[in-house]
Amino acid sequence: MNWLTQHVWLIPLLPLVAAGILAVTPRTQRRFASGLAISALASAALLSLVAFVATLAPGYTRTVVNTPWFTAGELTLHLGWILDPLSAAMLVMITFVGSLIFIFSTGYLAEDPNYARFFGFLSLFAAAMLGLVIANSLLVLFVCWELVGVASYLLIGFWFTKPSAAEAAKKAFLTTRIGDLGLFTALLWLNSETGTLLCYDHGRGCLETTALSGLVAQTTVLGLTMSAAISLLAFWGAAGKSGQLPLHVWLPDAMEGPTPVSALIHAATMVAAGVFLTARLYPLLSAAPGADGLAFSTATPALVTIAWVGAITAVLAALCALAQNDLKRILAYSTVSQLGLMFVGVATGGPAVGMLHLLTHAFFKALLFLGAGSVIHANHHEQDIRRLGGLRRFMPVTFATYAVGMMALSGIPIFFAGFWSKDAVLHGALEWPVSRGPFILCVIGAVLTAFYMTRQICFVFLGEPRAPHSGSHGHAEPHESPAVMTAPLVILAACTVLLSLVCTPFWPALEHYLSGPSEDGHEITAGLWALLALSTVASFIGVGLAAWAYQSVRTSNTSTDPWARRYPSVAAVLHQAFGVDALYAATVRRIGWGLAQAAAWLDRWLWVGLVDLVQTLGQVSGWLSRKVDEEALNGGFDAGCASTQATGNWLSRLQNGRAPRYLRFVAVGMMLLTLWLILGRNAG
Amino acid sequence: MTPVDYLELALTFSTELVLLVTLGLVLFLDLRGWLGSTLAVRSQRGATLTAVGLVLAGGVLLTFPPVADAPAGSFVLTQTTLWVKLALLGLSLASVLLLAGSEITEHVGEFCALFLLATEGLLLMVGAENLLMLFVALELSSLSLYALTALNRRHPDASEAALKYFLIGSTAAAGTLFGLSLLYGLTGTLQFSLLTARIGSHIGDPLLWAGLALTLAGFAFKVAAVPFHTWAPDVYQVAPGPAAALVAAGSKLAGFLVLLRLLHAGLAPIPGTASGLPFQSGWMPAVALLAVASMAVGNLAALAQTRVRRLLAWSAIAQAGYALVGILGPTTDATLAVQYFAFTYGLAVVGLFGVLEALAAAGESDEISSLAGLWRRSPLLAVCFTTFVLSLAGIPPLAGFLGKFFLFVAALKRGQPLDHLWLVAVALGFSVVSLYYYLKLLKPVLVADPAPEVRPLPVPRLLALTLVVLAAAVLVLGIFPTLLLGSGTL
Repeated sequence: MNWLTQHVWLIPLLPLVAAGILAVTPRTQRRFASGLAISALASAALLSLVAFVATLAPGYTRTVVNTPWFTAGELTLHLGWILDPLSAAMLVMITFVGSLIFIFSTGYLAEDPNYARFFGFLSLFAAAMLGLVIANSLLVLFVCWELVGVASYLLIGFWFTKPSAAEAAKKAFLTTRIGDLGLFTALLWLNSETGTLLCYDHGRGCLETTALSGLVAQTTVLGLTMSAAISLLAFWGAAGKSGQLPLHVWLPDAMEGPTPVSALIHAATMVAAGVFLTARLYPLLSAAPGADGLAFSTATPALVTIAWVGAITAVLAALCALAQNDLKRILAYSTVSQLGLMFVGVATGGPAVGMLHLLTHAFFKALLFLGAGSVIHANHHEQDIRRLGGLRRFMPVTFATYAVGMMALSGIPIFFAGFWSKDAVLHGALEWPVSRGPFILCVIGAVLTAFYMTRQICFVFLGEPRAPHSGSHGHAEPHESPAVMTAPLVILAACTVLLSLVCTPFWPALEHYLSGPSEDGHEITAGLWALLALSTVASFIGVGLAAWAYQSVRTSNTSTDPWARRYPSVAAVLHQAFGVDALYAATVRRIGWGLAQAAAWLDRWLWVGLVDLVQTLGQVSGWLSRKVDEEALNGGFDAGCASTQATGNWLSRLQNGRAPRYLRFVAVGMMLLTLWLILGRNAG
Repeated sequence: MTPVDYLELALTFSTELVLLVTLGLVLFLDLRGWLGSTLAVRSQRGATLTAVGLVLAGGVLLTFPPVADAPAGSFVLTQTTLWVKLALLGLSLASVLLLAGSEITEHVGEFCALFLLATEGLLLMVGAENLLMLFVALELSSLSLYALTALNRRHPDASEAALKYFLIGSTAAAGTLFGLSLLYGLTGTLQFSLLTARIGSHIGDPLLWAGLALTLAGFAFKVAAVPFHTWAPDVYQVAPGPAAALVAAGSKLAGFLVLLRLLHAGLAPIPGTASGLPFQSGWMPAVALLAVASMAVGNLAALAQTRVRRLLAWSAIAQAGYALVGILGPTTDATLAVQYFAFTYGLAVVGLFGVLEALAAAGESDEISSLAGLWRRSPLLAVCFTTFVLSLAGIPPLAGFLGKFFLFVAALKRGQPLDHLWLVAVALGFSVVSLYYYLKLLKPVLVADPAPEVRPLPVPRLLALTLVVLAAAVLVLGIFPTLLLGSGTL
């Protein structure tokens, strides 16, 4: 067990090896592909569990293993692995949820011709994500971060023959790259200031007191401390990965990928990378100048920014979700919104709070996505909620589990983990000394969340089948998905419920585990009770409002949205997600296009001329050198060869086979050698 | 005079004793027991028994390393001599395996016995610490090799070549003996160590230089350096394959290492200069002269050859020139470089003779043109042949490349930087020339079509195995030279 904490890199290695093998597996080997991917990740899950148990030991803080990678000049880069509660919890979550999603995929993609490739990509993704969470060196983290991006590109564009999927993959990749630029700049800056990219290195790491004291002592642009400036750049990267304003635009489009991909990447894990990064870098984010040089505060410029961005994102994304008609787009906006909530949690309540919501959200959002996948699979890839309906009768298991997920997301109290973790976030925001704004926004977001989830349930599962021509294409009735797909749903639903046991403020085991033993938990105060009541009320208001508004939907087969019909302009704006995409198209894309045009013009008129000139010069010199080559060199070489050969023939003729001549050689040789040495003996 | 401790003596020479016992056994069995069998079976048995003896000798060498400096300072055993003895046993083993199943001679027992005797002479020569012992061992190996050369039933000329070999060899040996006696007369000692101590005071004496020049002759004959090389083409052409392999590989390895020890240990105080002006007599200019002559004559004459074995002989003369260049280096570097070069060269040459034996057994002449289409007739032989030839040509990553590289680096390390640059430049220039005739060997093997009527070549299993092991060794040692040299690096 202790051995594993030292060798935690084995965990990402397993899926990485699987991905490597699958990269060269012929695509007819379908069972082998899925078997290998699932067994590799399941083994990784077992190892993660062992590592997790090791971290439960009392007094355990972290195990750090660093090893030099290479040295270039004065710069030595290190590789490093870390096992602390933060990474251990992530490891368990990723491998466990990931395994379930892998299993679900065997059913969902059963008919896809590129099945083997799919599992290869999934394994690559899992390996990258696992590497990201155990990275102690920010360099390793960044490498994995980029690998995650590549894997998501491959997976979103998995059905690359679909233009929208190819487009979405490109968009996701480019948008997150914009964020990565910020992170990369932050890392370079951090390295140049502290001389290391290792988070923890026995006092020398860049997240430890010595380095942080140095960072907070210096001031850069706009009066920011250096730590704040680096933190903001890093958050820019995190916002790109986690779909925060203004870089959220890729996430809803990413739903073009197969639904298990949405569940794995765009709900449970990859988008969580940004939140994870802020949690990992929390000492840097919260570092502020203090009385003795360094103090930690939740009111640093970086954390204030994060809190506000998160809160605004939470509300705006929830608003967008209200008017979406695509089953998965609703969930996508919901993810954006929940990620905002997580950032608020990290920024106001500390990393443990944000991570708590991240972990519970991973379970129930994976559940919701897989449920959506089950629905889509059963309805011949119909994703428009206005054409579904009444599925509770056809798909009871999916309905029941989906309802669990929906209630967890909406914050229905007591039995669902989502309620407690969201409550922890709200509690953190309420006690934040800087402003009440994020708290109020989060409460609004909670109401909206409950509302759009109820709307979705009404359309999809309640009422009657809505598609006017259902069955006319020879499609059969919707049917419950196979056990290989429903079993993961049931397991995830059970986890969503069971997880609530360790999330309550009455026994906040998970939060204490994450925050470490030093911090004492919330006391159960009257204020806490009031907050619980408030959030309960908020979720019930949302559910109740939606139930009332969509009464017609949940009782009949109507496919019109009563609110959208009443306020068409509002619905249109929300449906377009406030026109951010259009705005980017009009600004960023146009600028980019203009630059591209300019570059093309330069290319055509300036560079081509230069290239032609160089080319002509090359031709001339080539002609010259050919002449020299043929006339002088070749001729000379041929002559040399001929004389060499002639010498050889002459020498060979000396060897005429007659012993007297041979002996003469020997005798002459000995005599000459003797004379020569004797004559030369005094020359020096 | 102290009484001789025979037990200690026996232990000291346990390796050589194992070879002697094997020698007696193989003679006896061939005369008594194997008479009724066919020639192929007899040679198979004889080769196997000899091989077993060589392996056992190697085992004994590793198990009971003889005590150094016994008896009375005649022989030594250092890490280097132990290494060289093992390498010699390995090359002999590979060489004798070429005999298995061959019908090249009717005198199987005698052949094996002489083979073992020659190996024995080489082993003793390597360990000699005394001029007299050195000469006795040198003669033991030489005389056995003369006789081995004659034992070829396919070539009536074999006895002629053997006679030439003997004449030249004995002339050179006479020179050496005379030279050694001059050295003894000057210094009053036969011990290398005492020689070193006393020789410095005789630099002005012409007798010293005559002694050095004449002594060098015998060794130059052994390693086939110009102008003591004239035996080589004839011997290479007609000697039975295993014997030729021993002459070309084992005998050369021992010759180089002994020469190196004699010069670096015994004659260390009189190196002279080989860097041009001002000229100073010594063994270095002498060796440099032999080296240049060998490289020039060997490489140029090889260009004109039409027979594979004669070509190999001239190429061997050229390669001896490269090794002599390496001998000029500082002691440690030169030793390592020559060890590596001579051993890996030996591996390739033994392999080449193996391929040629397989061809000869199928009735092919040794004209280069008879190699045509070998690729089609036996891919295994062709691949092995190509590997060996490319290694001789010094193409990386084969061992021949590193061998030459080590030699030249060693030579450059001696004295002022670039003292020996001219010599290395000459060597590199002739290496380029050598590429021509090596590729000339490969062209028919890989490119030309076989004559229409020829059939696939059968390769006996043991021979095939030997060749594959040799080719693999040439490749692996080229990539991981430390396997051979241990931690010693250049």
